[in-house]
Order: sequence, then C-alpha cells, then structure tokens
Amino acid sequence: MRRIAGIVLAVLLLGGVVAAVVAGREEQDTSTATKTVRGVIGSEKAEFFADPEVVKALAAKGYTVKTETSGSWAMEGLDLKGYDFAFPSSQAPAEELAAKYRARKPLPRPFYSPLVVVAHRGAAEVLRQNGLAELKGSSGTLDMGAYLKAAEDDRTWQQLKGAAKYGELTGTLYIATTDPAASNSGALYLAAASYVADGGRVASDTAAVERTAPLMRKLIQVQGAQQPSSDAAFRDFVSGAGNPLVLVYESQVAALLAQGQEVGDLVVLYPDTTANSDHTVVPLTKEGRALGELLSEDPALRKLAVRHGFRPQGGGTEFAAATTGRTTYLKQQLTGVRQAPVPTSEVLHEMTRRARG
Amino acid sequence: MRRTTSTGRRTTALVGALAAAAALLTACTPEERTPGESHEPVPGTLRVLASSELADMTPVWQRVEKDTGIRIRPTYMGTLDAVALLAGGRAKGRYDAVWLSSNDYLRLRPEAARQIVSETPVMSSPVAIGVKPDTVRKLGWKPEDVTWPDIHEAVADGRLTYGMTDPSRSNSGFSTLVSVASGLSGAQSALTDADVRKATPKLKEFFEGQQLTSGSSGWLAEAYDRRGDIDALLNYESVLQGRKDLTVIRPRDGVVTADYPLSSLASTSKEVRDDVRRFTDALRTPAVQRLITERTLRRPVVASVPPATGLDPGRRRELPFPGSRSVADGLLDAYDNELRRPSRTVYVLDTSGSMEGGRLDRLKTALTALTSDFRDREEVTLMPFGSDVKSVRTHVVRPGDPETGLDGIREDTRALSASGDTAIYTSLEKAYEHLGAAERDTFTSIVLMTDGENTEGASPEEFEDFHDGLTGAQRDVPVFPILFGDSDRAELEHIADLTGGRLFDARQGSLDGAFEEIRGYQ
Repeated sequence: MRRIAGIVLAVLLLGGVVAAVVAGREEQDTSTATKTVRGVIGSEKAEFFADPEVVKALAAKGYTVKTETSGSWAMEGLDLKGYDFAFPSSQAPAEELAAKYRARKPLPRPFYSPLVVVAHRGAAEVLRQNGLAELKGSSGTLDMGAYLKAAEDDRTWQQLKGAAKYGELTGTLYIATTDPAASNSGALYLAAASYVADGGRVASDTAAVERTAPLMRKLIQVQGAQQPSSDAAFRDFVSGAGNPLVLVYESQVAALLAQGQEVGDLVVLYPDTTANSDHTVVPLTKEGRALGELLSEDPALRKLAVRHGFRPQGGGTEFAAATTGRTTYLKQQLTGVRQAPVPTSEVLHEMTRRARG
Repeated sequence: MRRTTSTGRRTTALVGALAAAAALLTACTPEERTPGESHEPVPGTLRVLASSELADMTPVWQRVEKDTGIRIRPTYMGTLDAVALLAGGRAKGRYDAVWLSSNDYLRLRPEAARQIVSETPVMSSPVAIGVKPDTVRKLGWKPEDVTWPDIHEAVADGRLTYGMTDPSRSNSGFSTLVSVASGLSGAQSALTDADVRKATPKLKEFFEGQQLTSGSSGWLAEAYDRRGDIDALLNYESVLQGRKDLTVIRPRDGVVTADYPLSSLASTSKEVRDDVRRFTDALRTPAVQRLITERTLRRPVVASVPPATGLDPGRRRELPFPGSRSVADGLLDAYDNELRRPSRTVYVLDTSGSMEGGRLDRLKTALTALTSDFRDREEVTLMPFGSDVKSVRTHVVRPGDPETGLDGIREDTRALSASGDTAIYTSLEKAYEHLGAAERDTFTSIVLMTDGENTEGASPEEFEDFHDGLTGAQRDVPVFPILFGDSDRAELEHIADLTGGRLFDARQGSLDGAFEEIRGYQ
C-alpha cells in the first residue's frame, strides 16, 4: 500500500516534468538516419528482435532496436528512464505501465498468442485415456474443468490409467507455469483457471478472489520454485528436463516449428478455456510509439511475426497460410477454444498474492 | 525448541558467511580469482560472478570471445556464497553478469533475486549417482530402473557407500540433498517442512552411507580415488560422466536439474547488458551448444543439437525445487545438525613466539568467528603448540545445549598465548594419536595452522614414517594445512599430499576466509 502511494505521489510530482519532456521529444524533427530505439520486452519476444531479418526490416524503416528481457509484471519494478518502449506480453501489465509513465492511448497491440500446454506423447496419451484431453495428431484440447477437478483432488500420475508405462510420470498431476507474480503467462494461467473454477465468471472483487483462492493456491504451491520466464520453462522442456506438462505460449512452439527444428514427440494441448497474451507496446517516447505502429502495420514485419509464431491482430489468414504444413501441431483457427476474460490488474495481483502466499 | 536454536544458529552462520564473503572480496583467496586482477570495469570485458564448477567452460568461453570480441573475466565462487553476496548488495559495481548452476536458491531470496534481470538458461545437467560397475552388478541393478528408495535400501543394508559435496557450500551438494529428500519422503509435489520431518529417519539412514564430504567437486573426486573403497559418487551427471570408471544412473523417480542461467545484473548500464545479451546469444548457437555438450558433457538447450554421446536420452521427472526459503534452509539445517555424520576435528594451532601480537589476535578473531558455524554434535579439539603441544581441549556441541560447547571453545581461544618454537610434525603426530583408531561414523580431519617452518621435534621424514605406520580409518584422516605468515608452502603442500588433504592459503586472503572454506571439507 505504501509503495503504491509512493508511486502515485512520484507520478503526481513528476507528471508535469515527464509530460513536458515527452511532449518536447515528440516535437523533435525526425531525421532520416537510423534511430536507436531501446525497449524492455517479455522474454518470449527476444528471438523475434534478435532475428537478422527482423533487424533488417526494422533498419529498412530507419530503426535499430535494442532490447532487454524482463518478466512482464516485473517491468513495473524497473526504472524505465532512458527507454523508448516497454513490450509486456499482456494488456494488464501494459495498462499499469501506461498509467505509470503516462503513455498515450490507444496502445499498439501488434500481435497475440494463446497459452497452450506442451506435453510429450506419453503424458498426452495418459491424459486422453483418462478423459482429461482429446487428441488429434500432435495437437489436442485439454479439458480445463476435468483438470481442475483432478488438481483439487490431489490426483497423482500414478493414479491415472496407463501412466505406469512411463517412468517419468510420477508425482502430483500439475501444469508447470512461470511465477505469476513475475511473469505474464503464470498470471494468465490463474486468470483462466479462476474463470473456469468460478463457473465461467471473471473475478471482479475480493469475494470472487476468495471463492477460488484455495484451488489457485494449490495450483501454485504444488510447483515449488517456478521459472521466472516462459522462455526458460520452454527451453527446459525442449532439452528434456522439467515437467511433463508445461504452460507456454503457442508462439514459442510455432516459432520452433517454423525453424524446421526437431521437436521430437511434442504434443500441443489447447486448454478449452485459455487466455491470450496480447503483446502490447507501451510507448515511452515518440520513437517508441512509432515502432509500435510499425510492428502493427508493416506487412514485412507482420510476416516475420508470424514466422516467430505470433498471430498478428486481425491476421487469421496470415497465420493460417504460414502454418499450413504444421497443422498436426497447431490449430489454425481457434474454434472451440474459449477466451477467458482477464481480471483487472488489481484483482489479478490480489489473486496472485493469495495463490503464492 | 531445538529447531529454534538451530535456526537461530543458521542465521548467524549465514551472517558469518556474509562476513567471510566480504572479507574474501577485500582480500581474495586464489580459489576466488587470480591475484593481481582488480574489480575495475574494463570496456568490452564482462566481469562474471560464476559458480565454481563453471571453471570447466574455459574452452567454450575462449570460443565465444573469438566469436563476439567480448572478453570474459570470471570470478568463481560457490553458488550459495554468490547468492549471499548478491543478497547483501555487494555485487553491484563489481560484476556485470551472474552465471550460477541454478537460480533456484537465488529466487528464494527476494533481495538477491532483485539484483538480476534477463536470466537465460544455457545448458543443463541433472543430479545423478555414479556407481562402480562392479557394485552395480553385485546389487543386481538395471541402471535405467533404479529409484531413490533402491539406493536408500542398498545403503541401509550396508552394501553401498558414497561421497558427495557439502550442500551448504556447493550447488551440486544442495541439489543432491533436495533430490534425495524428495525421493525418500515420497512427496508428490514440492517439498514441505512436514515432508522433511516425515523423511528424517530414512534420510538419517541414507546419510550414514556418506563416507566423504567436500567443499568442491574436484577434491571430492581426488579423495574418492585415494580412498578406493567407496562405491559411488553423487554429483551432476556431467561431472560423473567425465569419469570413465562409473556407471551413471539418473534415478527413475526424479532428479533436480541445474540449468545454468546467465543473468545480467540490474545495476549495470545498457551497453553492458547489450554485451551480456550478445554473449548469451553466442552461447546458444548450435555450434557452441555442440561444443558445450562435447567438452563438458552437459546437455544442450537447443532442440537441434543432440546431447553428447554417452548421455542417456531417456526422460526423467524433474523433482520440484522447494518454493520457500524456510523449507530450503530447514533442509540444510536438518542435514547439518541431524542427518549427516557429525564432524570430528583437531585444530593444531601454532602459538609459537612468532605469533605474538597481530597474528595471534587474528587467529583468535578467526576462531571466535568460526564458532557460529559449528554444527550440532560436532567434536572440536583445540591443540595449541609451540616447542610441543601445550594443551589438548575437546568440546562437543551438544544438540540440547550447543552454547556450553561453543562457550568452551571461545574461552580456550581467548586463553591462547604465544611462546616457544615450532614443532609442526610432533604436534601432528599427537593429533593423530588423540584421534586414535578414528571411527567411520564421523567425518574426521585435522586442521593445521602455522605461521612458520618446523624448528623443533620430529622431522618431516620421521612424520612420513609415522604416517606410513598408520592403519585403517586413521590413515584416511586428512590434514588441511593453512598457509599463514612465514610458513613454507612446499612443506605444507607435502603434508596435504601425504595425508590426502588440501592446502588453503590465508596469506592471499584472510584467516577467517580459510577457516570458513575448510568447513566444507569437515
């Protein structure tokens, strides 16, 4: 509370000055030389910005972009002075940052990606046999209601039919996520899970948070230490370490497939109720805003975003066209996948705090 | 009641470790970094605070230096010490990046976690047990089917002994401890305090099989080779796979994996962080990932690069790492004070005339500081010497009442006074005699602190003859000499080699730091 009051006070005190500086910068003449734009981004976009073709496409438009990664929620704790933009993976932290740094609305949202669960063939097969998932090829749908029921009952893999065949399938059945206090995908997981657990209602107040708190706590506590970013979690999964079920962004899987990389017996499970990460640019300077708009509108950059697994806003066909050869893993259209609305950041923070506490 | 006492002591020990880490920073030991180098920033050079075991990455770093033009200046330190340093805010301005075996423990300490940004895993290696093929045969094990309860059973039946590193000082030891505790508690999800309590009897039996402890993986391997009668080593797969004489088993019911994340420090400039990012990207290129897995036998984190030949591609469950500091520290505490064999140590302390003044004061300060680090059940003997052994005083840190023993040590330390010549070998012989036919149920060792050369009593040759005459467990008692003042490196190194100990240098660093570091070997 004191910290929030402090931030509010600081914003009030500095607001005038910051606004003046931003306004001043916005009036500066844009030169034709390459401008260096600095941003803090969610880790899942690191490879996009590091891609030489993206670097080239940006340079063609006069930009050199330098990025650093941070958990989306952790960005709030960073000093963003000297940066041109922040690029968290979801709207809620973006709104917080926009308020803190007085960024002008609307915020550019170049692309999005649904949360999915990756599993190896054996684990997916066991879920199917036990009515927790449906499979078609290397893609499938995870029944969130059934999964949450199993979590509530402390179901272990050993209790599931067919698990004995796989040595690594022991211990409590759970989806490994990132730390919801630091990283977006973990927080969105709670948003989707609480929505399902509360009968399709999005939490809007303390009473709603209260209702699902014991289950949310269970989902987080069983995991022990959590990865701070979805990139690390996915890396571990790919390298064969880590959990049987890991929550990642669809974009991470799609990007790997697009590179033609060997994914072994990976299966992509789309939760029947999931949350989208809306990759949202928070412009801190004029250059930051221009970059956000460029990412949204430039056809070459949109195409590159698809190659990195993202779905461009309003670009269903672009994504479908690019993933034709990979439909065994990916659902081109998200039919049958319900979008859980995400609570306000205040409610989500409260939910996270109770879940970790 | 006793939980309160030991937790309180752990806090003090941590404070002690912090103080020691601070001392190491101001005056570093050679283990920490090569002398003559400073912590001053140099453009284009990254000052990396790295886990000790990453020393084997030198060829990889050289390759990446060539690829990127970025120079690396590593400072090696135990992972838990590095976390303490970060938590104390002491990395700021001294380092540009942090590269630990794992950030799991770091994340349990928010004040340390706040210091880093952009963590990127670079490679991975799970905890494993390397067992002599002959023992595997005798136990009738099929390596791919072995579980932690199987290992426990073999130990409890007296059919398996092993060595492992000290969990308080080495990340491999800590990860092993978490793996064993999870595996034996039957915990289905992240360990809780209740799981640890439930598993205590089994864990006690398990750790009765531990015949060797060490502050570093390197010395553990040396001691293992020297002893020859130990069946197995617990360590990271990469360390064990590097030896050709062990069957490497990743228990089927799960392991803890180190994923070596490279992280920037939050306090660094954007330019430095750009360099860290470029360096990280270079480490994750397929060519460098291949080099990593072939040279260090760790596993690549890029799907297109297969693990080096010999690394079993089969999957293992990842055991959840404790999610709270109280569980992690509680486990360390239980290990130190209840689960492991207690240590039994004779401190052979030079209090000859030349120690008069500053040196004696430093010895007293260092010993007094060390008392906060002694564990429950530990037996400590102080044996000050000059022309001969001056006194032999033994104290035991009793679990119900640790302060009495610790007060005794502090009191005897205060009473030390400098006089006489330097009878190193005669005093060592008396230390061995004091320990008698050392038993296998303690970690027994001798610490020798001297500031000069041998001038009195038995000669080096006589001591060698004496040592040759030792038998059984007594012969395995190592001497850890500390180089201090005007002592002779060659002489002390010879004692370490002869007895299977290790030399510690308090001339480059501090006496506190040397005593503290030896704790990992006791």
